[in-house]
Amino acid sequence: MSLDAKRIVIAVLSFFFLGALLLVAWRETLRHTPEGEPPAIVTGSNQACVTCHQQHSASLVMQWEDSRHAKVGIGCLDCHRAAEGEPDAWRHEGQWVSALVTPLDCGGCHAKEQQEFARSHHAKAGEILASLDNVLAERAAGMPGNNADAVNGCLQCHGSIIDFEHDGEGRIRRTGAEKRPVIDPNTWPNSGMGRINPDGSKGSCHACHSRHTFDAKLSRAPENCGKCHMGPDHPQIEIYNESKHGIAFHANRHEMALDKDGSWILGRDYSAAPTCATCHISGYLAASGEVIGNSHDVGERISWTLRPVVSTKIHLVRFEDGYQENWPDTRPLPAPGDAVESTEHHAKDGRLVATPLTRRVRDVVTWEERRSAMKGVCLSCHNHTYVDNFYTQFDDLVVLYNEKFAKPAQAIMDDLTREGLLDPKTPFAEPVQWTFWELWHHEGRRARHGASMMGPDYTHWHGMYEVAKHFYEKFLPQVEELAARKGAAATWTPRLEALLAREEHAWLRGLSTQEARRLQESYEHRYGAPEP
Amino acid sequence: MARLRRFLTETLPVDWDQLRELGAEPVPHHLKHWWWCLGGTPLYLFVVQVVTGILLTFYYVPDPDQAWESVARLTHEVRFGWYLRALHHWAANLMIVAVMLHLLRVFFTGAYRHPRQLNWCFGVLLLACTLGFGFTGYSLVYEQMSFWGATVAANLVEAMPLVGPAAATLMRGGSEVTGNTLTRFFVFHIGLFPTAMAALLLLHLALVRLHGVTRVRFSHEDDRPGEASFPFWPHHAATELLIGVLLMYILTVLALALPPELGPKADPLVTPPHIQPEWYFFFSFRLLKLTSLQTSVHLTLVVGLLIFAWPFVEDLLHRWLRMPREASVVLGVLGFLGFLTLTVWESFAG
Repeated sequence: MSLDAKRIVIAVLSFFFLGALLLVAWRETLRHTPEGEPPAIVTGSNQACVTCHQQHSASLVMQWEDSRHAKVGIGCLDCHRAAEGEPDAWRHEGQWVSALVTPLDCGGCHAKEQQEFARSHHAKAGEILASLDNVLAERAAGMPGNNADAVNGCLQCHGSIIDFEHDGEGRIRRTGAEKRPVIDPNTWPNSGMGRINPDGSKGSCHACHSRHTFDAKLSRAPENCGKCHMGPDHPQIEIYNESKHGIAFHANRHEMALDKDGSWILGRDYSAAPTCATCHISGYLAASGEVIGNSHDVGERISWTLRPVVSTKIHLVRFEDGYQENWPDTRPLPAPGDAVESTEHHAKDGRLVATPLTRRVRDVVTWEERRSAMKGVCLSCHNHTYVDNFYTQFDDLVVLYNEKFAKPAQAIMDDLTREGLLDPKTPFAEPVQWTFWELWHHEGRRARHGASMMGPDYTHWHGMYEVAKHFYEKFLPQVEELAARKGAAATWTPRLEALLAREEHAWLRGLSTQEARRLQESYEHRYGAPEP
Repeated sequence: MARLRRFLTETLPVDWDQLRELGAEPVPHHLKHWWWCLGGTPLYLFVVQVVTGILLTFYYVPDPDQAWESVARLTHEVRFGWYLRALHHWAANLMIVAVMLHLLRVFFTGAYRHPRQLNWCFGVLLLACTLGFGFTGYSLVYEQMSFWGATVAANLVEAMPLVGPAAATLMRGGSEVTGNTLTRFFVFHIGLFPTAMAALLLLHLALVRLHGVTRVRFSHEDDRPGEASFPFWPHHAATELLIGVLLMYILTVLALALPPELGPKADPLVTPPHIQPEWYFFFSFRLLKLTSLQTSVHLTLVVGLLIFAWPFVEDLLHRWLRMPREASVVLGVLGFLGFLTLTVWESFAG
């Protein structure tokens, strides 16, 4: 190559090199340009809402601007638009709108999620309002004309029946130039899971997907469920925090991909710990490599019911109309195609009413199949032996509670009522009724929930220990005292003696000499011998 | 202008005519072929390494708690930090390739023979130095793979006869790879190896100038005796400049297209399921897998010593066993093919 040729090649290569350097500079500029979220898309129909509400409720608009909805142009009217004639609708700045956004509204885009939720146990949370819990909130703790305990307490989780104030002629009272319907303040604001909405839908997506950012990280985080699943009667969040799962979550929260857009799959997007959503709702990577299990039907993987006095395994009976019911394993199962008497709960004049109707069975998911689905999640981290043995431990605890305490206590309460010693119209008149209530509704549930989620202290000290102590030291003495007071001691004293004569209660009559000596020696070894 | 020239002549008492004469050193005609410029290529890359290395040292923190973080900060936050790191990474890899190719060229053209045996030895030491640079530099990143790679390498060194345990202890700063090791590798990488390399380069280049470049005649040049050489300046300097610009272009393209990744931070308590060194040690790793620790280390040592002393060994074999000198070519081909086979095997088998 001649010298001139070399010079030309050097010049050409220098240009290439400079070009490459420009690319380096461009990449550097890109790296240091704040990525930032894409801006909110305000469509024409929403422009007026955003402009005005930026002034009147600036944070609300900011929240929406930060949401995924805003990034894809889903705006105010897409959720708040109402049809003329709907009870909650009013004409606002030229548009028919409603303050209430119900699952039916969300289902316009999220149809699958809405259908799954509508059939779920969560959607039926408002259907327990005719319960002893409500007697306690409305009657024992409340007073005529003031339902504040239930409104601020029970209904904020279970959901209210949203109602409006009415005029003397029974019409919805409206206010202002736009004739906005006046919502009964005892029924809204409310984000209860089983809220019964004016459009007949049940539930509130906002219960988990807080407005107006609708951040997925909130619904994935255990604290979200802990708003309701906590406290003396169902301390799931406390149990979770005590469990190895909760410990792992809190230590590794930053590795949980809670912020991830789109799907959130165990074994693919995260593995550090399971949250409530992981086990009960979210998808997971199965051994086949498929993602399965993603469903808003929260109870699909539950095989025991741990809420009633006596726990039972539960089958899921699914009907052709999409409705489904949990059937205890003590009830004979129907076959697909069978007509079954069922009940439809709905709101009428602000009250919950139950209408009997016949439904046709589509299929049945047995408790074994539901458990298998839950095990699928467990197997993402644990082996078969581990999972099977856990379920053996859990099952044994529930059986222990059922057989030793719950069934005998329930039988005693049933007999006291049948024999007229207790009046079903006064469910909390006698001390034994309060004791029995707490025995199963608080302490018994704590023990069962503790075992179900591997919370040792809730299983024992907050659970079975309290059950045993109050069964022996409060419940049975109160039964005896009631019977004596009502002149039925002759029947009840031998009956209670017969109960305590059973093998599982034999320990009350004392330990063997050998057991007592071993116990004393153990305490002396641990804490020192008592001074002479 | 005249005053400036006088000032320079007075303040720099250099014989400019002599300097011009040095620049006009006749260069053999065959150096017009690019593969005869493989000696200048690693030198050029070494300069790149020195410049980028100094800049990287501004940001690197040789502390086990901060090393990985400082590399991460350099890669993700520091302006043009990723480019600097990528240049350093790719120049290191290209330098190893260039040194190996230079060594092969010298070997297969017989340029290591008398009177240039000593320069061959310096060259082999320069290769060892380059590999040492690569190994210690990679370890400084302090990611899982480099940490555990260093652990395996230390075990290999420990298995060397006689000096093995002492060398391994010196290298690790103890009986295990710890924070001490990182500090030592840092000192090796920015102190010991650069000094050694600079000294060896000086000796190597001085000997090249003293001996002159080995003359090679190609068959088609036999009838062109008049073109046996050409002046270093400007012809060969232009070739070197051309190669320099080309290298910078290649390095920049590689930095843009394949910037070095940063693996997870080293965790001395968690052994990764799969450990692999950088590609230039694949041969050693494959040998280790094929044989035992002792065998692979001894074999590597013997082959290394043979390469180092080959000009003298070849002489001895020729004199004592009448080994034809062409046999070196066959042995060289076999040796290089062996190296390639082990490297490719390891890269696929992993």
